[in-house]
Amino acid sequence: MSKAILVKGGRVVDPASGHDKVADVLVVAGKFAGIGKFNERDVHKQHAQVTEVETLDAKGLVVAPGLIDLRAHMGEPGHDSEETIAHGAEVAVHGGFTTVACLPDTDPPLDNVAAALFVKRQSEKAGFAEVHPVCALTKNREGKELTEIGQLIEAGAVAFSDEMRPSDEPGGLLRAMRYAAMFDRAVIEYAQDPGLAGGAMNAGYEATLAGLPGISAVGEELAVARACMFAREAGCHYHAPKLTTRNAVRAVKRAQKLKVRVTSEVCAHHLAFTDEVVRRAYDTNFKVFPPFRSADDVAWLKRGLKEGVITCISSGHHPVAPQEKELEFGRAPFGAVGLETALSVVITKLVNTGDLTLIEALEKLTVNPAGVLRLQHKKAAIAAGFDGDLCLFDPKAEWEVTPDALMSRTKNSPFLGATLTGKVRFTVTRGRVIEL
Amino acid sequence: MTTAVAWKRKDLLGLEELSREEILHVLDTANGFKEISTRSIKKAPALRGKVVLNLFFEPSTRTKASFSLAAQRLSADLVDIVKEASSAVKGESLVDTGRNLEAMGVDIVIVRHQQAGAPALLARSLDACVVNAGDGTHEHPTQGLLDIFTMREKFGDLAGKKIALVGDITHSRVARSNIWGLRKLGAEVGLIGPKTLIPGSLKELGVNIHYNLDEVVDHYDVFNILRIQMERQNKGLFPSVREYHYLYGIDSKRLSRMKPDVVIMHPGPINRGIEISQEVADGENSVILRQVANGLAVRMAVLVLVQSAKEAHGG
Repeated sequence: MSKAILVKGGRVVDPASGHDKVADVLVVAGKFAGIGKFNERDVHKQHAQVTEVETLDAKGLVVAPGLIDLRAHMGEPGHDSEETIAHGAEVAVHGGFTTVACLPDTDPPLDNVAAALFVKRQSEKAGFAEVHPVCALTKNREGKELTEIGQLIEAGAVAFSDEMRPSDEPGGLLRAMRYAAMFDRAVIEYAQDPGLAGGAMNAGYEATLAGLPGISAVGEELAVARACMFAREAGCHYHAPKLTTRNAVRAVKRAQKLKVRVTSEVCAHHLAFTDEVVRRAYDTNFKVFPPFRSADDVAWLKRGLKEGVITCISSGHHPVAPQEKELEFGRAPFGAVGLETALSVVITKLVNTGDLTLIEALEKLTVNPAGVLRLQHKKAAIAAGFDGDLCLFDPKAEWEVTPDALMSRTKNSPFLGATLTGKVRFTVTRGRVIEL
Repeated sequence: MTTAVAWKRKDLLGLEELSREEILHVLDTANGFKEISTRSIKKAPALRGKVVLNLFFEPSTRTKASFSLAAQRLSADLVDIVKEASSAVKGESLVDTGRNLEAMGVDIVIVRHQQAGAPALLARSLDACVVNAGDGTHEHPTQGLLDIFTMREKFGDLAGKKIALVGDITHSRVARSNIWGLRKLGAEVGLIGPKTLIPGSLKELGVNIHYNLDEVVDHYDVFNILRIQMERQNKGLFPSVREYHYLYGIDSKRLSRMKPDVVIMHPGPINRGIEISQEVADGENSVILRQVANGLAVRMAVLVLVQSAKEAHGG
């Protein structure tokens, strides 16, 4: 007794296998059961247990594996007024994401087994995207005592990070990477030297004229280069999150050449804006961390993506309450929501511009992040036995980003008022179709 | 006056966004107001029945007094609010404060704030006019305008004139407003000071940057000397007041090597004996007190222009 979902006539783009042509996809009991040409009769014949077939007409749509996000702040516990895991999981599905890694900078932080289990339970209860915890590397994210990494993995931790690590004691990170290396999990380290991070926007010409304190690009390069060296020493997988600068991309490239196990990521919004937009109106929706950088930096991010130096694209989803964003630029917190715009931004700013092919772009939203989270054996491939997660989108549909168009509880998007191309129509997850 | 044609802004946030024509229009308007200061009854009725609010989140003596006098000479009612920055962080937000005051019928808000962009935020949120009286290290447009007004009194057209700004450019909103305004009027602008206090990226605006004052001391027609703040020393941006004075202090010895009719300016408050010596500050080439007097006329012009622009656009 189970349900089948038959997705008919879409352009099936599966980066894991390189498949990119029109086909049907069959999901039975929440798992992929085949790719090819099917009708309902075949389904019943081949899968005797199927009692119901839901058919989706995917003509004109791209059928991709459900997107996987490495970087979403879910607010809970501690900031539930901004976002909760259950609601965030639904927001994710609206953006085509079926798996989301949430970050440990909650209050209290995700640094213990109970907290990791809490995330898992809230995610199960909600039943939308799967939310997996990235747990803290050290207790209370203080950069001192290690968390119980072995037990946290058992409880569902997919990676480890102190997310905005307050401590600048380098030996601590090296020790933590050594320990984490035993468990074959990625360490995701805050890519900015804290000593050079005190500012409100990218340091340089625009910040000088805006009269705002700058966040130096050298600080990012320093932190990334240092973590790459530690990863080499520790034999650990280092994932460099949210790169924004030319020289950080080059630092990652150098490390990869030396066969250090380094993956890296860019947040979608960093591909769309430069620091010039900040000065235009001091609009705090443009206040993100790391900050929007120069046009030269953005060109290097695109180049890094094309060359495979940058392996993943994340949403960087970070809800901030409106009363906090309606402050003077220097005082407002960093953060932009991104789960609902990430895919459209990638299509608009990378694929339609010719910087990446669609399959290259989707690789960075599916199979590569799955690898970082060690979920590549059950997710992000349209292959028999894998979780039947799909994202069906119209690659040509245009939509205007308005507060009403966003399901996210807070509307702190830098794209408000912008028109983006590419709109998710259906998301399939946990054996369920969500029509959007 | 043809204010409705040449001036359409309900706010004055900076000189960056002004055109050359708009800058000249303010200065011409100010010229008209300068005469009022010479009358025995120093009043004009332009803002009678209007409410002007001084909203200062940072201490200020001369700018606040200058705006207050400007408003009073234009017959406006004046309200002063001086806020502690710390209470504004914990309590009411800037936008809420502005909306509350606007509900009481304020027509023009003059705001000084530690945070760059705070006047822009207020201008976006209110129907009232907003005049920036200095925001963080962003701009101080009325100071820029009065500096330029004073230079034009001396030279007339500033095209091709050589103007130097000396000191801490990085942390100076006065410098930014001067640079924007002077460049728009075609002046040659030089920035002189230690490398740690001059953002190199400003070259993109077409200004000269000099780290050695003595090499260019006879090149410039005007030296506008900025106040050096002692706390920058603690941040490791220059080693000592003594070394600063040695390298960049304007004293009689350096003055003697400048052009004979060089103009010495300072936006105040002065650290006598540090960035400028006593004799130079009070000497023949100094126009420091004239700057203060001109400030009043410039601010009267700005208040009248923003208010009439708002009324012309049905605000």
